[in-house]
Amino acid sequence: MLRRAPRRTHRIGRGRQTAVAYALLAPSLVGVLGFLLAPVAIVLVLSLFDWKLLSTPEFVGLANYQKLFTDSDVWHSLLVTVYYVVICVPGTTILSLLLALLVDRKLRGMKYFRALLVIPWMATPVALGLVWSWIFDPGRGALNQFLGVFGIDGPAWLSSPVLAMPSVAAVHIWQFAGYNMLFFLAGLQNIPRSLREASSLDGASPVAHFFTITLPLLRPTMLFVLITNVIGSFQAFDTIFVMTEGGPGDSTEVATYLIYDEAFRKFDFGYASTISVLLFAVVLIATISQFVYFERRTTYEVSG
Amino acid sequence: MRLRIFTYAVLVAGCLFAIFPYFLTVLTAFKGPGQLSETMPWEPGLPPSTAAFERLFNSGFGGYLVNTALVTAGITLGQVVFAILAAYAFARLSFPGRDALFWVYLSTLMVPPVVTMIPLYLMMQKLGLVDTWAGLMLPTMLGTPYAIFLLRQFFRGIPADLEDAARIDGAGRVRTLVSIVLPLSKPILVTVTTLAVVANWNSFLWPLIVTSSEDKRLLSVGIALFKGEIGVDYNAVMAGSLIALAPLLVLFIVFQRFIVRSVAVTGLK
Repeated sequence: MLRRAPRRTHRIGRGRQTAVAYALLAPSLVGVLGFLLAPVAIVLVLSLFDWKLLSTPEFVGLANYQKLFTDSDVWHSLLVTVYYVVICVPGTTILSLLLALLVDRKLRGMKYFRALLVIPWMATPVALGLVWSWIFDPGRGALNQFLGVFGIDGPAWLSSPVLAMPSVAAVHIWQFAGYNMLFFLAGLQNIPRSLREASSLDGASPVAHFFTITLPLLRPTMLFVLITNVIGSFQAFDTIFVMTEGGPGDSTEVATYLIYDEAFRKFDFGYASTISVLLFAVVLIATISQFVYFERRTTYEVSG
Repeated sequence: MRLRIFTYAVLVAGCLFAIFPYFLTVLTAFKGPGQLSETMPWEPGLPPSTAAFERLFNSGFGGYLVNTALVTAGITLGQVVFAILAAYAFARLSFPGRDALFWVYLSTLMVPPVVTMIPLYLMMQKLGLVDTWAGLMLPTMLGTPYAIFLLRQFFRGIPADLEDAARIDGAGRVRTLVSIVLPLSKPILVTVTTLAVVANWNSFLWPLIVTSSEDKRLLSVGIALFKGEIGVDYNAVMAGSLIALAPLLVLFIVFQRFIVRSVAVTGLK
C-alpha cells in the first residue's frame, strides 16, 4: 500500500503531504499519546511509589508488589473477577450463538425480532443495575413474586453470598446476548451458500452439520466475540456498583471495584496503581492467549 | 410448518424476556407509593401517578438530563470529527511512520479504561480540570482508536480514482474528504456515531470520579447516588432509571434498521 501512494501524489511534494497528514492526526495523537499511552506509563511508575492522600509520593521500589502478592483481598478480588468472567463469557457466547441460529432464517417479521433482542445492549448499565435490583428484591420484586405464584419461596438473591455473583452475572448475559448475536448472525450469513446446503444433500443431521461445518467456519467471529467479552467483563463495575457494592461481604468485589475503592475512597494512589497493573497484565494474558489458541487451531480460511 | 411455529414461539419468549425489564420500569415509575405495595410488579398502578417524576425533577434531575445530553453531544461530535480526520490520513496519505503509528493506535484497544483512570485523574488535577466540563470531556473527545480503525477500513474501500478527479480540479484534501469521501461513507458514520452516543450516554466511572458538584452531575451518576440518598424508594429509582433509559430507546426505535445493520459490520475484520 505504501508503493501505490506516489502514483497518486506526484503532483504535490512529499513534505507537504506529511505536514497535512500530521495536521489531520494532531487531535487524535494528543488523545492517544496523552490520554491513553501516557497514563499506562504513569500507572507503571505510580505502582513503585507509596502515595496516600496529602502525603508526598515516596519511591519504594517493588514494595507495593510484595504487598500485592501477600494481600488476600487482592487475590480474593481477582478470583471473584475470574468467577464473573467465567460465568459471563460462556453464558453470553453460547446464548448469542443459539439466538443467531434462531434468527438466521427468512421468516416474516424477523428483522423486528432481531431488533428487539438487541435493545438491552444500549441500556445504561447503572439504570439496568437498579432495574434488576428491583426485579431481584426479595420481598416485592418481580422474580420472587412470580415464583410465589407457583408456591416457591424465592431466596434473597443479592444479599446471599452464594447467589449474588450469579445474579449480577445474569444481568451481563441478559444485556449482551442479543448484541453479540448480531456478530454471529453476520458470520453465519458469510458462510457460502454451497456449504450451507451441502449437508441437506448428504443427509447429515443438523447437529452434526453445525459442529463439523458451521462452527469451524465461525471461528473468526468466535474469536472477536470471546475477546471483546473477556476484556469487557474483566472491567465490570457499573452494575456491581449499584447492585451489590461489592457485597455481601466481599463476594462480588471485582478487581475494578477494589481499585476504585483503594484509589478514590482510601486515596491510596500508589497501591491502587499496583492493582491496576496486575489487572492489566491479567487482561493482556487472557487476550493474547486467546489469539494464540485460535491462531494455532485455524487451519484454513474461507474468504467471504 | 411445525418448525416455524416452534421458532416463532421461542422468538416471542426471547423478545419478551429482553424487554420485560423495560415494562417493569415503566409500570413501577408510574405507580404511587401506595400502589407499589398493593399491586404485583407486572400490574399497572391505576390511575397512573407522576408523583415519582415530580419528586425527581424537584431534586435536580432536569439538570442532570440536560447535562448528559450536552456532554454526550459534545464528546460524540469531537470523537467522530477527529476520528474522521485521523482515519483519512491513515487511509489515504503516505507519510513517514504511518504504519508504525497505526499499530500504536490499534494496540491501545487493549488498554482497559480502568487502568488509565488514576493517572487521568491526577493529570486533570495537575491541569486544574477536576470537577470541570473540560475535565469531564477532554480525555475521550479527541477520537477513539476503535472508531479510527473502523473508518480507516471503510475509507480504504472507496476507489481512489473518485478523489483523484476532484483533486485534479484543484480541490484540497479537506474539500475532497468532505465532498467526496464522507457522502460515500454514510453507513460507517452511522455505526461510529451510534457506538459513540451509546458509550458516552452510558458512561459512569469517569464522571463519577472527576465531577463532584451537583451542577455538573450526569444522569448515570445522579441515579446511582440517588439510591444511596433515599434508600429503597423503588418508584423514584425506577422513574430515574426510565429517564436514563428512554432517550436511547427512542433513538433506537427511530434508527432501528440502520443500527442493527451497522453494528453487525463492526464484527468483521
